[in-house]
Amino acid sequence: MDSDEEAYILLLLSDGNLPTGSFVASSGLESYVTHGFFTIPPNLTEKGNDKLEHIVDFIRDTMSTYARSALPFVSDAHIIVEEAMKSHGTPSSKDRTEQALRTLLALDALYESMTLNHIARRASTAQGVALLSLHSKGFSVPRIYPATQQKIPVDDKGGASKIASILADKLKLLIRREETPGHLPICWGFLTAALGLSLDRSQFLHLFLCARGALSAAVRMNICGPYAAQQLLLHAIRPIVVAEASRCAKCRTGVSYSSSDMGEVSFDEGVMTKEGPAITWPLGEILAARHDLQHSRVFNS
Amino acid sequence: MTGGTVAVVAPGSGRITVQLEGSEAILSELSSSYPLKLLSPRLPPHNVAVVYTLSYGGGLVAGDRVGLAVDVQDSAALVLLTQGSTKVFKTRPGQRNARPLDEVNGFTSQRMDVTVHPGGSLFLLPDPVTCFRSACYTQLQTFRVDVSASVVLLDWINSGRKALGENWSFARYYSLNELWIGGKRVARDAMLLEESQSPLEAHQLNLPVRTVAQRLAPYSCYATVLIYGPLTTDTIQSLLASYSATTVFKHNARPPLVWSISTICEGQGCVLRVAALETEDVRCWLGANLTLLEGTVGHDIYSKAFG
Repeated sequence: MDSDEEAYILLLLSDGNLPTGSFVASSGLESYVTHGFFTIPPNLTEKGNDKLEHIVDFIRDTMSTYARSALPFVSDAHIIVEEAMKSHGTPSSKDRTEQALRTLLALDALYESMTLNHIARRASTAQGVALLSLHSKGFSVPRIYPATQQKIPVDDKGGASKIASILADKLKLLIRREETPGHLPICWGFLTAALGLSLDRSQFLHLFLCARGALSAAVRMNICGPYAAQQLLLHAIRPIVVAEASRCAKCRTGVSYSSSDMGEVSFDEGVMTKEGPAITWPLGEILAARHDLQHSRVFNS
Repeated sequence: MTGGTVAVVAPGSGRITVQLEGSEAILSELSSSYPLKLLSPRLPPHNVAVVYTLSYGGGLVAGDRVGLAVDVQDSAALVLLTQGSTKVFKTRPGQRNARPLDEVNGFTSQRMDVTVHPGGSLFLLPDPVTCFRSACYTQLQTFRVDVSASVVLLDWINSGRKALGENWSFARYYSLNELWIGGKRVARDAMLLEESQSPLEAHQLNLPVRTVAQRLAPYSCYATVLIYGPLTTDTIQSLLASYSATTVFKHNARPPLVWSISTICEGQGCVLRVAALETEDVRCWLGANLTLLEGTVGHDIYSKAFG
C-alpha cells in the first residue's frame, strides 16, 4: 500500500462519524467527574485546580493504562491477520486462515480474562462487534461496482481480502453465538490489517481515537468547550499519544504465531510477564466499574 | 546444581501440602529454606490449617527470590497469613549468603504456585506489601483451582513508609494473579506501577512529569480480592447487594474510600477492588464486608487477618 492510499484509509478511520458506537463511551471520565476527582487531592496541593488540567490528567492516566493493557492485543491481532492474508494463493492458505482464527480467539479469551471490570468489558465488546460490522458493511465493495467489472478505486488484492472476509464472517458468527466476546483491541487489529494499514499506523490511530473519544465525552459533558478541546488535542494530547504509542509499540501478549503448530494456541509466559499487558491505573478500574452506580449519567461507560 | 545425588532445595523456596484426615486438616508437608520461613500455629477450628509465611529480618532485600508451592488436597482448607506487611527493601540490610553474586542486585521477587483440589479451599489473607523507596518488586501468583473448590485471594499494596516521607516512591511494582478454574484461565490480574515516562523522556516529549503518586492520589492503599467457589457464594451475594444498593450523587471532593466489584465465571466468582486513604481503612472495610467468611475460617483466624 502506498502512502497516499494509507493516508486515505487513515482519513476514513479517523472520521468522528464512523459508526463504531464510541460516542456512548466516556472511558470512565463521567464516573471520574461524579466521584469528585476534578478537585485537588489534599496531599498534592501544588497542583492547580483548572478543569482543563484535570481533563489532561485523566486522559494521561487512562491512556497509560489502556495503552499498556490493550495495545499488545491490537499488535498481535494485526500481525496474525496480516500473516494470514499474505498466505493467499499458497497451498497452506486454508490451514493458515484456520490457525489465524484460533489465535484470534485465544487473544480474545485472554483479553476477557484480563479485563476484570464489567463496564469496560461491555464497552469493549460493543465497539468490537461494531468494527466487524463496519468491515463487512462499510468497507465492502459497493453494489454499483458489478463483480465482473473489477475497476474499484482501492486495490482489492483479491485473495487477501477474501481471507479477511472469511475471518470476519467466522468471528461475527462466533460472537453472535456468544462463543467469543469480540473485544475492541482484537477487532481493531483485525480491521486495520484487513484494510492494509501498517502496524505502527494502526497502533497510533487506535490510541489517538481513544484519547479523542475521552475528549469528545468531556465536550458532551460540558466540562470543556469545543475550542478548548481542539487546543488540548493539538498541544496537550499529542505528546501523550506519541509517548504511549512509543512506550507500548513493542509490547506483545506472548501468543505464539507459529503456523506449523496446528494444535492449541500457546502463550510465552516470559513475554507475558515482562512486556505483556497490564493495568497501570487501579484507581481508573475502580471508578470505571462504578459507572452504573451514578444517579444520573449520559454515557454507557 | 545438576548431577548431584542430594536433592538441593533452592534458597528461598518452600512447600505446603494440606490434606483432610477425618475432620482435621493435616499439614503433610511443610518445608522451607532460608530466607523463607513457614510457621503453623494450632488455632481452632481444627478442620482449617493455618500457615504464616515469614522472611528473616521481616522483609525482602534486593535479589531475594522466594518461591512457594502450595497443594490443598481434596476437601482440605488452608489459610495463609503473614505477620506484618511484606517489606521490600532497596538495599540489603545484612549479608545473605547462598546466592550467586549476579542475583544480588536484581529484582526482588515472590512466586507462588497453588493447586486446590476438589472441595478444597484456600484463603490467602496476607498483610499488604510495602515497597520502600526505589525498591523493585515482582510478585507472580498462579492458582489452579478445581471447579468445586473455593478461594479468597487478597493482594494489596500501600504507598510505603509515610513517616519517612515515602509516597509511592518505589521504582517498580508488578503483581500478577492468575486464576484458573477447571483448566480455564478466568482471571489474569496484572498490575504494573512505575513511572510511564522518566523525567528525561517526559522533558523530551514536552510532557509534564506525572508520578505514580499523582496517578493514585489521594489513596495510599489499593487492594484486589479474587473470590470464587461455593464457600464464598453468600459473601459474593452480600457484596453485590450492597454494591447495587449504592447510588452515587455528585461528590464535591474525592471520597475517602472507593470500591468496586465485577463478577466472573457467571457470578460464581468476583473481582473486588478497594482503595482508601489509609491502609487501616482498607483493612477495616475488608473485615466488615467479608465477615461471612468468619463462619468458615473461624473467629480467631479471621481476626488475625483483619483485626
